[in-house]
Amino acid sequence: MKSTITLSLCIAALTANLAVGAANAETFRWASSTDPQTMDPHAVNSSPVLGFLNNVYEGLVRRDQAMAIEGALAQSWEPLDDKGWRFHLRKGVKFHDGSDFTAEDVLFSYQRASSEAADTSSWFSPISEVRIVDDHTIDFLTKAPNPIFPDSIANFMIMDKGWSEANNAALPSKEVENHATLNTNGTGAFKLVDRQPGLKTVLEPHDGWWGEKQHNITRAEFTPIQNPATSVAALLSGDVDMINPVPIQDAARLKERDGVKVIDGIEARVIMLGFPHGADALKYGADAGKPNPFKDQRVRAAVSHAVNVDAILKTIMRGAAQPASQLVSPAMRGYSASLSERPAYDPELARKLLAEAGYPDGFSFGLKCPNDRYLNDEAVCQAIAAMLSQVGIKAELEAMPVRTYWPELRADNFDMYLLGWSPGTFDAEHPLRFLASTPNKEKKLGSWNFGDFSNIAIDSMLPNIQSEIDDGKRQMMLDHSAKVLQDENAYVPLYVQPLVWGARDNIDLTQRPDNFVILRWINVN
Amino acid sequence: MIKSTITRTLDSDFLWSFRRSKLAMGSFVVVFLLLAGALFSPFIATHNPYDMTTLNLMNGFSAPMEPNAFTGDQFWLGSDGQGRDIFSTILYGLRLSLFVGFMAVAFALVLGVSMGLIAGYVGGWIGATIMRIADVQLTFPAILVAMLIFGIAKGITPVDMREEMAIWVLILAIGLSDWVQFARVVRGATLVEKNKEYVQAARLIGRHPAFIMIRHILPNVLGPVMVIATISLALAIIAEATLSYLGVGAPVTQPSLGTLIRIGQGFLFSGEWWILLFPALTLLALALSVNLLGDWLRDALNPRLR
Repeated sequence: MKSTITLSLCIAALTANLAVGAANAETFRWASSTDPQTMDPHAVNSSPVLGFLNNVYEGLVRRDQAMAIEGALAQSWEPLDDKGWRFHLRKGVKFHDGSDFTAEDVLFSYQRASSEAADTSSWFSPISEVRIVDDHTIDFLTKAPNPIFPDSIANFMIMDKGWSEANNAALPSKEVENHATLNTNGTGAFKLVDRQPGLKTVLEPHDGWWGEKQHNITRAEFTPIQNPATSVAALLSGDVDMINPVPIQDAARLKERDGVKVIDGIEARVIMLGFPHGADALKYGADAGKPNPFKDQRVRAAVSHAVNVDAILKTIMRGAAQPASQLVSPAMRGYSASLSERPAYDPELARKLLAEAGYPDGFSFGLKCPNDRYLNDEAVCQAIAAMLSQVGIKAELEAMPVRTYWPELRADNFDMYLLGWSPGTFDAEHPLRFLASTPNKEKKLGSWNFGDFSNIAIDSMLPNIQSEIDDGKRQMMLDHSAKVLQDENAYVPLYVQPLVWGARDNIDLTQRPDNFVILRWINVN
Repeated sequence: MIKSTITRTLDSDFLWSFRRSKLAMGSFVVVFLLLAGALFSPFIATHNPYDMTTLNLMNGFSAPMEPNAFTGDQFWLGSDGQGRDIFSTILYGLRLSLFVGFMAVAFALVLGVSMGLIAGYVGGWIGATIMRIADVQLTFPAILVAMLIFGIAKGITPVDMREEMAIWVLILAIGLSDWVQFARVVRGATLVEKNKEYVQAARLIGRHPAFIMIRHILPNVLGPVMVIATISLALAIIAEATLSYLGVGAPVTQPSLGTLIRIGQGFLFSGEWWILLFPALTLLALALSVNLLGDWLRDALNPRLR
């Protein structure tokens, strides 16, 4: 008995050694400050989750290296005379567990991703019905003509109906765990082999993938490293092959180091401050319980003039970011070039506006902030708190990891908050739908509009923007919406976040402005 | 009369031993300077780094003794990323660290000594229960106990009072994680004292047990308590720094030494070494000298070592 155990231990040790030896050659290890909160592609609509799961799951369409839309699980698609879109699905595609991909799975995924329990339902607000034509053809019918619909669903990932139902995961779960938050069954180029939330997530190539292999990875290991200095140390020592992001303060020095390279670009993400438009009272600080001053547009305008964005960009962001005036960056389709001026830094004006609004002596409130989500997020919030206190409104800052941050925002536990938004469609219509529309679960609108901003002009314009085919008319409506949001100070856009990745010299990769690490384009040399 | 008291004090073994130990004198000077700096920080510091209205972000990341590239302002020990003067922040941080340390030790001392006295003098199932609780708590690392208590206490404080209460919650957490040392020592000493003749005599004339514990036994067990208190102070300061370093202690807008070290760590690779180095050196000097003082006190109060 004893010898059997010893023998099997020896064999186990040997095989383990062999496995490590073989894997080392093309194991790709990368680290990021944020762990994807879930492995469920419909539960949390945030870049860390969608970016990670783009390696495991696939949509009907996907974006190529230049962000252009190309077919993925759909081979082709065509409009149905203004009534919607017909998708012709790829044949012979198999999920990781070997089951076949059919139109049933698409319909199921649509129902799952557009359900109230999902965080992605706003993607489907233009859809009236989804109809299966045959096993490999499916129609998405829209309420009005929707020219950009296929462009807007690159992150709508298809799950296996049989697998989800068999594992009690037919509906997504945002905060409670279910089978699909820890396990996956996609059609993508990689399959999940080990998931330890907050510690390590391991992917391996899916041998039966339909596409043409462009990578040479045999194993990919993801580790969340929250401390920026630790992640830089891990990259320099070779413990990881790539980090995202490189702390801005370290980018200059890393560029000079041998053996590593810095890949930078401008991310599509705009960092902004959000307000509690719907709340009646303040919730934090010495004035908790008193009427909510942020309902007054003058107070919101005062905030926009009190924040010295230029100083934040020069010091904390080390000159690597661009100021923002709207909810989207200039690189997005539908950006309003005529509204590129952001409110000037003018503490005197801010004080005057506060006095006009009835707060000559200011007030106290609570500022909520993530500390592991955006570049230098906590430092930026501290600076903002200091700047606001200089015009008389005292912010009590509470910074926390995103794991607790999103639930706090969903529970309306804030007086002001920091948010970064990167439009998944690369179009200015996207933030209108998610951030500026009056929240409405039935219409699937405003799902990230935590402050319940509500404006009739925006609400009535959005369907027209979605269905307008003429680019000029569409741009006019987008310009008008951007103007309304600026005049109302619905949000205070601060800056466009830079994109800074660091990698070992032997890594070939593609960096897209959506900040997704796509493994199928990575080669370890 | 006064003169004789002074000469008696100057002649005492205690002071003699102090004056003979260069290490003790040196540590005392360091502790004294740091205490003075902390106490008088509002007069020494160039600005109040906890007052956000005095911060200018453009002063961020100034190197020590070099004029800032944007504003031209100069800082002795440089400034951090928010434009706080490191020297002033160290003084204020020191004040916070020392305050939390002293209060936490005082809390642990009162709680631990009373528990130890009761456990030792009353004994029975009450004493056994107290000591078993103490034993169980000792099996967990103190910092984990402190984090647990901090988490629970923070959870039950109303949200709008969290910021004012943060420091007190910290004190409670560190104090509660530290009372066991006092209780164990006091209980041991009480067990010895309670069988001595003077206690029996007091009991015979009908003194109340509480009176006997406080007036008769307590003064005789205070020696070791003072030694533990000094060493606990160093540990409490480090515990506060550790909690703040882990980001669960003092709020970021009121940096203590531990918070400063945490912030500074992020700038080691980018070359802003001063944000980390100076607070770390201060913490090192403080903890080391308090510890050395405690060591010396232990030896000085131990009759067997004379």
